[in-house]
Amino acid sequence: MIWLNYTIFQRVIIGCIFTGLLTGLLGVFVVKMRLTAIGYSIAHSAFAGAALGLALLADPLMTALLFSIATALLIGPAADKAKLPIDTITSIAFSLNMALAFIFLTLAPTVGLSSEVASVLWGSIVAITNRDLFFLVVLTSIVIALVYLFWKEIFTIMFDRRMAEADGINTKPFIYFTILMVGVVIAFSLRLVGGILVYALLFNPASSALQFSHDMRKIIVLSPILGVISCISGFFLSLVFNVPIGSSIVLISTIMFAISVIISPKKRREVRT
Amino acid sequence: MVLAIKLDNVSTVYEGEKRPAIRDITLSIREGEIVYVVGPNAAGKTTLLETINGLLPVFRGSVRVLGLDVRKHGRKVRCQIGYVPQDFMVNSNEPYRTIDVVLMGRCGKVGVLRRLSKVDKEKAIEAMKLLGIEDLANRPIGKLSGGQQQKAMIARALAKDPKILLLDEPFSNLDPESRERLSELISRLNKERNVTVVVVTHDVQQINNSCSRIVVMNNGRIIADGKLEDIVEAAEKILPINFWRSL
Ligand SMILES: Nc1ncnc2c1ncn2[C@@H]1O[C@H](COP(=O)(O)OP(=O)(O)OP(=O)(O)O)[C@@H](O)[C@H]1O
Ligand SMILES: [Mg+2]
Repeated sequence: MIWLNYTIFQRVIIGCIFTGLLTGLLGVFVVKMRLTAIGYSIAHSAFAGAALGLALLADPLMTALLFSIATALLIGPAADKAKLPIDTITSIAFSLNMALAFIFLTLAPTVGLSSEVASVLWGSIVAITNRDLFFLVVLTSIVIALVYLFWKEIFTIMFDRRMAEADGINTKPFIYFTILMVGVVIAFSLRLVGGILVYALLFNPASSALQFSHDMRKIIVLSPILGVISCISGFFLSLVFNVPIGSSIVLISTIMFAISVIISPKKRREVRT
Repeated sequence: MVLAIKLDNVSTVYEGEKRPAIRDITLSIREGEIVYVVGPNAAGKTTLLETINGLLPVFRGSVRVLGLDVRKHGRKVRCQIGYVPQDFMVNSNEPYRTIDVVLMGRCGKVGVLRRLSKVDKEKAIEAMKLLGIEDLANRPIGKLSGGQQQKAMIARALAKDPKILLLDEPFSNLDPESRERLSELISRLNKERNVTVVVVTHDVQQINNSCSRIVVMNNGRIIADGKLEDIVEAAEKILPINFWRSL
């Protein structure tokens, strides 16, 4: 059991709430717009970026942001045009990013920084700063406002992008913006969960929520809630057992997914005779 | 004479392909016409429809729909076109109710930053009634049968009050009675609302009197175009004679 100073505690809780909200919300778009492969690539390039930041003694958040946005801008259009199968891009990008990340990590001056290396790998609660929180809150507000304004279009695109186009909706800005947001949000969540596991935060709550309901309107509310629950209970788990917060968040969200599969109303039979 | 659709020497090439899927297509369809498009698999029928509504980029030639160049005004044009794709199938877990999907047809038309209103909802329900699926409104779309899903997609196309309907094998999953009803519905929409209709079908039984024209495609080209009597000769080359006799 670890005892935290109250300010840090408060900061982490706020960080958990907004990280969980954002990733849970975006995760639904990522899954339903079939951008999981892209999200995966972005997550790992952000990891490589953060590692580079450590090696260069620069701010890992900024280098992660740079890498993930660059990847979003590169992969988004490539995948959109289907020039290469997305699986191919993802696999190659994954291995490249991991290779880069490990090179950068070995280059990082380790003396006195090993906790920072660990935070890039597995996440850390003490790494969250007030500036991070400020950005998280701003980002969350922007994303929620946009979702509210463009719900009709997002709802339609998530069902089927091609049919949305056929109905006269310009789908490109929505897809590209989602990809870009994924890049930004991943960079910001990296602090909390770490580079190797950040992807799970995007994927697990959304997948669990999708198990729970037949109604997209409920899923879009449920997924962020599950995201917040995963983050906060992961945080407490990490305090109690003194394990990396990233791992405990992933554990919790995986258990949550397992539960959602088991109790999924979609799988229940209701036979009336 | 007002033209609803006008293609001039149009070729469409899929990305990564060398051969155009349709080539040198010249075709004019007047407002209020019902045109059936027939031809063997891979003839280019689906490609033709998606070239008309601009989902596929034109490689060569010009496509004008309702007087607008599709290359420049694709979205505006698509707001007026009800398109029913061939064999659209929904994942059984898809978290959308049928009414949600039908309502989507109105999104482009309503425009961004506007909410769907009561009127939109009424249009969607009316469209579902036309297809006889109003009872399914609150059912998850993925739980419908193949034919029911197809009707929902047709309702989605009708919900937008289209000036043009592009239907890609709309009869394929329907039972005989539903085919008959759809056929009548097409004629009725055409008469009452002056909707221009282009129907791709392998099911010649559905080509009835209301049909003003048949376009026969083969190998990416139009090989015959006209009234039934006019096209039989040319069409016999690609489809067995009984096919046309049965009409
Ligand atoms: N996405 C694609 N990429 C590359 N080539 C394609 C694609 N879709 C279709 N084609 C090719 O274009 C040609 C025309 O296909 P199209 O789908 O228009 O035929 P169709 O007349 O609709 O056939 P069917 O009766 O089977 O539906 C075919 O040779 C097909 O192989
Ligand atoms: Mg086809």
